[in-house]
Amino acid sequence: MSGVTLEKIVKSYGKIEVVHGIDLVVAEKEFVVLVGPSGCGKSTTLRMVAGLEEISAGRITIDDRVVNEVAPKDRDVAMVFQNYALYPHLNVKENIAFGLRIRKESKANIEKQVAEVAEILGLTEYLERRPADLSGGQRQRVAMGRAIVRHPKVFLFDEPLSNLDAKLRTQMRAEIKRLHKRLGVTSIYVTHDQVEAMTLADRIVVMCDGRIEQVGTPMDLFNHPKNLFVASFIGSPPMNQIQAEVEASGDKLFAKFGAHRLELPMLHELGANDHGRKVTLGIRPEHIMTQADPDTDAIEVELDLIETLGSEALLHTTVMGKPFVVKTETRGDLSHLENVRALHFKPDMLKVFDGVNGDVFDHPERLK
Amino acid sequence: MANMNLYSRGDKFFVRINMVLVGLFTLATLYPFIYIAAVSLSSGMAARSGVVVLTPVEATFAAYQQILVDPDFWNSYLNTFIYTIGGTIMSLLLVIPAAYALSRPQLIGRRFWNLMVAFTMWFNAGMIPFWLNMRDLGLLDSYFGIIIGFAVNAFNIILLRNFFESIPRSFEEAARMDGANEFQVLWKVFIPLSKPAIATITLFCVVARWNGFFWAMILLQDEGKIPLQVYLRKTIAELSDDHEFSSTLLSSLYSAETVNAAIIVCSIIPVLLFYPFIQKYFNKGILLGGVKE
Ligand SMILES: Nc1ncnc2c1ncn2[C@@H]1O[C@H](COP(=O)(O)OP(=O)(O)O)[C@@H](O)[C@H]1O
Ligand SMILES: [Mg+2]
Repeated sequence: MSGVTLEKIVKSYGKIEVVHGIDLVVAEKEFVVLVGPSGCGKSTTLRMVAGLEEISAGRITIDDRVVNEVAPKDRDVAMVFQNYALYPHLNVKENIAFGLRIRKESKANIEKQVAEVAEILGLTEYLERRPADLSGGQRQRVAMGRAIVRHPKVFLFDEPLSNLDAKLRTQMRAEIKRLHKRLGVTSIYVTHDQVEAMTLADRIVVMCDGRIEQVGTPMDLFNHPKNLFVASFIGSPPMNQIQAEVEASGDKLFAKFGAHRLELPMLHELGANDHGRKVTLGIRPEHIMTQADPDTDAIEVELDLIETLGSEALLHTTVMGKPFVVKTETRGDLSHLENVRALHFKPDMLKVFDGVNGDVFDHPERLK
Repeated sequence: MANMNLYSRGDKFFVRINMVLVGLFTLATLYPFIYIAAVSLSSGMAARSGVVVLTPVEATFAAYQQILVDPDFWNSYLNTFIYTIGGTIMSLLLVIPAAYALSRPQLIGRRFWNLMVAFTMWFNAGMIPFWLNMRDLGLLDSYFGIIIGFAVNAFNIILLRNFFESIPRSFEEAARMDGANEFQVLWKVFIPLSKPAIATITLFCVVARWNGFFWAMILLQDEGKIPLQVYLRKTIAELSDDHEFSSTLLSSLYSAETVNAAIIVCSIIPVLLFYPFIQKYFNKGILLGGVKE
């Protein structure tokens, strides 16, 4: 099985520990995305898998073989770098063939493999060109070609799209996804862009400060974030947050903030004796309604700004002195949105987080 | 000239002053060449009386005829080639790997080694100890002594090391992932990427070797092994000491001045031929397109 296993992986630079014991199992053929803010240790973790950084503690297994002491070239992994690292003195063909030449493959075999990869990536016309004469997207493809041509067990990507403009990024994202479907090679992909993570990943690993916050499918993370960090990191625009206090009244719980009161969903981990407890409400912009509904609570707001995206619009408002964003459908017309004076919430759409440590109440994994 | 309309009045003034200064500098650099060439083609009388300014006076090839028939001239010429080519190759063989090793963060004791290399730029043992050292190593009067003795130059190492350090790490890492060992990383990636820097130190080595005079004079007794520069000095000494030669000067078409000038011209020609050949490597932006930062 050509999966990758990380067990209690630690990385220290001198006395400073930057990765604090990561456990992760990447299954064969899986596409796993490490996502998190800049500096959280994603690249470091990836580079330890690649063999470019020593592992301070823990164990990495590739294809059931412990690789802690194995040189990068013998790990049978290929990496696509953020800056591509194409050899500028070689043309596209020579760049792609570099690894095969070093490994002393036969000329005929190299020709065949390069032609095949160029075909897959649409580079056939550019084989004689130098990297300097290619566009950003083409360079990106050459970088991938260099990885693919070796038929490695694992692909590693370190922010491969971050140097492309938005349009090209979307296009290459789709291409990477297609490529993964076609080749079915186990892949670990690092990005700080949650959209990339959501669109590419079979499973996402959310990291923060050298630790894993949560691992799950994109929908898992979107619907059931474990804590505020994950909740605010996944989803665009990010989840709205409101500091509130629990109020028990009758057999129901409410969140009180300012002059407002919203009914909370029924939760196993929050009860009447939590009266007065500080919590943070998390509400996704797409889960807020602009029209009343039988079982909704409402709060009054003033509209600051409407951003139109076409079929959807973002309403920018302020709640408790903080920006509060609502995503809603336009149905091709903005006039009905301009008069919005109140927002409506269903209890089921509220996420409730501990006001102190940010953990969500009633996370399905804990309830099981 | 670029379109001057794009410059402001102050800038135009500045550009003009610049051009005048560059022009003067070019003349100052070029004139000695022209003068020496003119002297070498003038008659001995004219050269001695100092009337040669820009063009040959009483033009003649007599000085060239004089030196081109001297087998010692050809022999020293050949020696200079041996020292220059051998010395430059030896320098590159030693300096490139040294610079590469010193540029790698994974080198153990890197700071110390770098300090040791830089140390030799500030302090050295001096002439006599160096001579004694060469003598004890049996490297006096030896081609190999001259070639190896001056092959390692701290300045060149540091220059190239800095260039290697400026190459993004991902090149090394990509090559490693591709299966390259240290030697292949150096040979297939770093050296091709460092052509401008390597061309620079090659030029430094070639020029230093070609003009190398002092140590060749000190270390070489055997006249069969001396380079052109030492031969030139010897000829100067011989021609000016030679009373017989002076007395026949009036009837002769060459003099010490013209012969010296002719030797100098002969020694400059190969360097002039070499430079355009290496110049194409001095282009900037060799990393262009390989990485995007
Ligand atoms: N060579 C190094 N020496 C010291 N600290 C480093 C080194 N490389 C990375 N770090 C630190 O490790 C942390 C994680 O870095 P990195 O893995 O590059 O983050 P990411 O890729 O998630 O942005 C950062 O705080 C960074 O400053
Ligand atoms: Mg990074």
